Amino acid sequence: MSKKDNRSISAALAMATCSLLGSGIPAPVDAQEEPEWDFNTSLLYYGEDGDRVKDYSVKAIARRMFVDDRVLSLSMTVDSLTGATPNGAIRQDTAQTFTRPSGNAAYDVQSGVLPLDDTFLDTRVALTANWQQPVGETSLVNVGASASKEYDYTHFGVNAKIARDFNKRNTTLAAGIALSIDSLDPVGGAPAPLTPMLDVGDTSNRIGNQDKDVLDVVLGVTQVVNRNLVVQANYSYSKSDGYLTDPYKVLSIVDGTTGDTLLRTPTPGVEGPSHQVLFESRPGDRTKHSVYTQAKYYMNGKVLDASYRYMTDDWEIDSHTVDLRYRWPVGEDRYIEPHLRLYTQSEAEFYRLSLVDSDPLPVFASADYRLGNFDAVTAGAKYGWKTSNDNDMSVRLEWYRQSGSVPAAQVVGNQATRDNYPDLNAVILQFSYRF
Amino acid sequence: MKIKIGLAAAAVVFAAGCSSMGVEPWERDILAREDMQMTTDEAEAVTDEHIYFSKEASSGGRGFGGGGCGCN
Amino acid sequence: MGSPCELVCEALERRAAHELSSIVAAEAWRIEDKFSRYLDGNIVDAINSAGGRPVEVDDETAQLLDFAVTLYELSERRFDITSGVLRQAWHFDGSDRVPADSRVQAVLELVGWHRVAWQRPLLQMPRGMEIDLGGIAKEYAVDRCAALLREQGGGPCLVNFGGDLAVTEPPAQRVRWKVAIEGERDGEADRIVDLKQGALATSGDARRFLLKNGVRYSHILDPTTGWPVPDAPRSVTVAADTCTQAGMISTLAMLEGAGAEAFLDAQAVTSWCRR
Repeated sequence: MSKKDNRSISAALAMATCSLLGSGIPAPVDAQEEPEWDFNTSLLYYGEDGDRVKDYSVKAIARRMFVDDRVLSLSMTVDSLTGATPNGAIRQDTAQTFTRPSGNAAYDVQSGVLPLDDTFLDTRVALTANWQQPVGETSLVNVGASASKEYDYTHFGVNAKIARDFNKRNTTLAAGIALSIDSLDPVGGAPAPLTPMLDVGDTSNRIGNQDKDVLDVVLGVTQVVNRNLVVQANYSYSKSDGYLTDPYKVLSIVDGTTGDTLLRTPTPGVEGPSHQVLFESRPGDRTKHSVYTQAKYYMNGKVLDASYRYMTDDWEIDSHTVDLRYRWPVGEDRYIEPHLRLYTQSEAEFYRLSLVDSDPLPVFASADYRLGNFDAVTAGAKYGWKTSNDNDMSVRLEWYRQSGSVPAAQVVGNQATRDNYPDLNAVILQFSYRF
Repeated sequence: MKIKIGLAAAAVVFAAGCSSMGVEPWERDILAREDMQMTTDEAEAVTDEHIYFSKEASSGGRGFGGGGCGCN
Repeated sequence: MGSPCELVCEALERRAAHELSSIVAAEAWRIEDKFSRYLDGNIVDAINSAGGRPVEVDDETAQLLDFAVTLYELSERRFDITSGVLRQAWHFDGSDRVPADSRVQAVLELVGWHRVAWQRPLLQMPRGMEIDLGGIAKEYAVDRCAALLREQGGGPCLVNFGGDLAVTEPPAQRVRWKVAIEGERDGEADRIVDLKQGALATSGDARRFLLKNGVRYSHILDPTTGWPVPDAPRSVTVAADTCTQAGMISTLAMLEGAGAEAFLDAQAVTSWCRR
C-alpha cells in the first residue's frame, strides 16, 4: 500500500462496509482510552464578614486508576488564611489592650467592640496519599497517610480501611482506623493553662511545644434498599489525647457584681494588657462518639442526598447535624443542587463566658465560642455542567451563619446589656474542575 | 470496648436482616450513576469537613474525623 | 465463532434479556453454520469442494465475496481469502517448526484470488484452492447482531464475539461502555477504553507464533510471499463505526508489519498498537 493511498483506504472500506451491511450503519464511533490519571481541582474562597477570617484554598486530587480496580490517590491542599478571630475576652465599655500571642507587641480593641486577635495569619500545606486495592472478590482495602504543616502546627497521620460486600453486593460492611500524631509550636510558646496574659516581653508563663494524638475508629454498613435507594449508617469513635487547648484563647476575669472585666496596670514603661485575662484550659483528653446516617434516593432523574449525624462527647457537647442536597438536572448535562445544612450543639461543661474573680478558679475553662451553645445554618446551591471536552465543572455559593447564646446563669451584671456571643456570617464560594 | 462489640454485633444483625433487601446485579443501572454515590464530590466533602472542623465542636461521621489542623 | 460470544444488555426484565440473547444467538449460529469452513454442507464447503466447477452463490455470500475483493484490492493482494491453505505449511503452535521454503512455495501455488473467476453469482476456482471467510465473518456477525438488536429496539447493548465488539447505543446511566482490553497475560486488562458509540476489533494473538533462532514468526502470513509478515505488531486494536471496519483496518495494519503505526496514523482512526 503506498502511503498516499492510505486515507482513501478508510473511505473505500467505509463504502464497502455500507454495501455489505446495508441499512444497519450506526452512529459514528466515539471511543477514547480511559486516561491513566484524573484530577479533581478546586479553588475555594471562605470569607467571614467584617475583619474576620478569610481563607483562600487551592486543592488538587490526582487519581491513578490501575486495572483490576487498584487506585492511587494523591492530594495537595494549600490554604492561605488571614483575618482576625475572637480571642475569648468579652466586650467592655472601655477600650482594651492585649498582648499579642508572640509576646512581642500589643493590640488595642475599641470600647464596645468584640475583642479580636488580628494576628491570625497562616499558610497551611496538607498532603495525603492513598492506596486502594481489592482483596479477593468482595473486599476492598484502603491504606493512606497524611501530613500537614502550618506555621505553628505539624500533623502526621496514617489510616486503613477495609470494606466487604455481602448479599450480591447489596450490603457493605466497613471498618476503618486512623491515627494522628500532631505537634504544636504556638507563636511565642504555649502559655501555661489558666495563667494571666502578661506584659509585652514577659514570657515567664510559656511552656513550649505540645503534642496531641488522635485515634479514630469508624464502623459502617451500607445497604442497597432497592433500585433507587441506598442507605448508610456509621458509628465513629474518636479519642484525643494531649494538648487540646487553644493556646491563643483567653477568658476575662470579671467583677461578681458588675460583670465588668477587672482592670490591670502594666509595668511602667512597658506595654501590656489593660484588663485581667487568663489563658484557657481544656482537659487533656476527649472521647467522641458519633452516629451518622445517610440516604441517597433517586427520583426520576433527581437525586436526594440526606444525612443526619448525632455526636456526643465527654466534654458534654452534644450535636445534631442535618444535611440535605437535592440534585436537579437541567437539560442534558447540567444540574443545580440546592444545599441546606442545619447544625446545633450544646456547650462544653467547662465553657465560661467569663470567670468571676471571687469564685474559686476551675480546673478547666474556655470562652471559645466554638465550645459554646449555638445553632448554625448553611444554605446555598451548586451549579454543575459538562465542558465541551466532557469534563465536569461546578461552582457553589453558600452562606454559613452561626448564632449562639450564653447560658443565662453565666451572664453577670452589665454583661446582660451586651451582645455576648460572637455571631458569625461567612460566605463559601468554590469552583471545581474535574478532568 | 463493650460499646464497640455491641455495635459490631448490631451491624451483623442489621446485615442479616438486609438480605431480603437489595437488587439483582442487572438492576444496578441507577445505583451506578455518579450522582448516586455516597460521596459525589470528594473535593467538596473534604473542604466542608475542614471548614466545619475549624468552626464547630463536631467532626467526622461520614469518614474519619478530619483535623490535622491547628484551627481547632 | 471459535471464541466465547456474549451479549451485555441493559434490559431490566429477565424475559426481555432472554429475547435479545435469543436474537443474537440465532444470528451468530446462522452465520457460523453458513460460513464456517469447518462444517460440511454449507456454501463455503460447496465452493471448496467444487473441484474446479463453478458454484452459484446466494446474495449474502456474494456480498461478502465482493467485500473480500475490495479488501484484496485495497491491500494490494495481501488480504486474500484464499490464503487459508498456507496453514498446510504453517502450524503456529509456539514451537520452532518453521517450514522449508520449498514447502511454502508448493502451497503458494494454491493461493491467490487472481486465480479465481468471480462473476456474480458464479464463482469458479482451480481444484485444491480454498476460500476462508473467517477473517470477515466474525466482525460481520457482530455488526449484523447489533443491527438486529437496534431494529428490535433492544436498548443499550454490547455484542462481544471473542473481543470483537460493537455497541448499539451508549448505556443509559453510565454514559460509556467500559471495555477492558486483554494484555499479554490471560485475564489481565492492558487498558480500558471508554466506548460511547461504535465498535472495537483486535487483530493478532500473542499466543500464536513460532520462535526459531531468536526470530519470532507472527501468524500473520503475507499471501504474496507465503511467509509471515516481518515485524508485525503483537496486536492491533481499532475503534471504528462498525466492527467490520475496525476489524479490517486492524488486519490491514498487521499486514503492514513495521509500518503498522504509520498506516494507522494515516487512517485517522483511534487505535492501539502493541508490540
